[in-house]
Amino acid sequence: MTPRLPKIAVVMPALNEEAVIARVIAGVRAQGIHDIVVVDDASSDNTAEVARAAGATVVPLIVQLGAWGATQAGIRFAVRKGFNTIITMDADGQHNPADISKLLTPLSTGRANVAIGACTQRGSLLRKIAWRWIKRVSGITLEDVTSGFRAYDRLALRRLASWQATLMEYQDIGVLLLLQRTNMIIEDIPVSMESRSNGKSRIFHNWGVVAYYMAHTLLLGFCKRARARRPSMDPAVVYKVSR
Amino acid sequence: MIAIISAIMGLSAAAVIIQLIRSDRLHVNHGLGWFLVAATLSLLGVAPSLFDFIAAQVGVSYPPALAFSLGFLILIVKLLLNDIDRSRMQIRQQRIIQRLAILESELRRLRDEQTPKDLAASYKIETNQDPLEPKNRNIA
Repeated sequence: MTPRLPKIAVVMPALNEEAVIARVIAGVRAQGIHDIVVVDDASSDNTAEVARAAGATVVPLIVQLGAWGATQAGIRFAVRKGFNTIITMDADGQHNPADISKLLTPLSTGRANVAIGACTQRGSLLRKIAWRWIKRVSGITLEDVTSGFRAYDRLALRRLASWQATLMEYQDIGVLLLLQRTNMIIEDIPVSMESRSNGKSRIFHNWGVVAYYMAHTLLLGFCKRARARRPSMDPAVVYKVSR
Repeated sequence: MIAIISAIMGLSAAAVIIQLIRSDRLHVNHGLGWFLVAATLSLLGVAPSLFDFIAAQVGVSYPPALAFSLGFLILIVKLLLNDIDRSRMQIRQQRIIQRLAILESELRRLRDEQTPKDLAASYKIETNQDPLEPKNRNIA
């Protein structure tokens, strides 16, 4: 079978990012990617208008669905439009668009179905402890489990657009275990990350939210762990079939 | 006395359920389960000795303990079923919200792609009024 040409789009969930989103979109366009989908997570500011003016296609959610719900909406939209490779990145300027090509390499060479832009140096001590626990309970060995800077190929996208993926509240452990369970090969790619322009994480800024997030993620990781199989490390096994 | 109270509770519950279904505030599917609860309450109210008999059969020496345990168990199962149903509905709702956003985005693109001529044509079809012509002032 002849390999499909990658048709690449960038999907960005955005919540009240009017101050920075135009700069982020311009950064992506400078990398030669012009298909940018901004999913407006029911922002109360002018994020949608600013993104549209900057040349992005806006998918406006009428109700806030959170980072993963918004990302999945963008993925479903892009898949509907025939894109077979999608980069997801934050709209707050944390991820460097120049790293997109690094994420695409494992996909184009057939080494992996999913590439994760990993930056383990970032984050507070609290976040590092949380990561360690999450990884231990879920059995995931990837470096950066919470990074939203990822590249997905066609096969991974099919899983992510599914009903099972809608049940997830966050894009980290649940999504990664779903991908792993379906034999997707996931690879960490070291990237640098800027500090957020608005200064705070959606999760790691409030003890109550952190406690809920940890309980939720640990339970999910524990329940799904037994069902998750280690992916086949021979890329040819999965990739030959997929391409 | 307790038998009368229990029977009244059961019958009242049945009446409330019938009224809720009649006024379209409770789906018949859910009503069915509650109707069974009401029927059981009424039955036990009318014939409390029935429960003593069942307790003796299963080897429980204090019948109210069996009643409480069973009631508690049924409530827990019902709550769990509720949450399972709620999860299913959450997924459905989230996917509808996503689809709505996708369609809204597509609709906007189609509208943006339309030329003024197309717009005028669609306007004419919808209102049977030429947008370039001034409106008939007699029709207010």
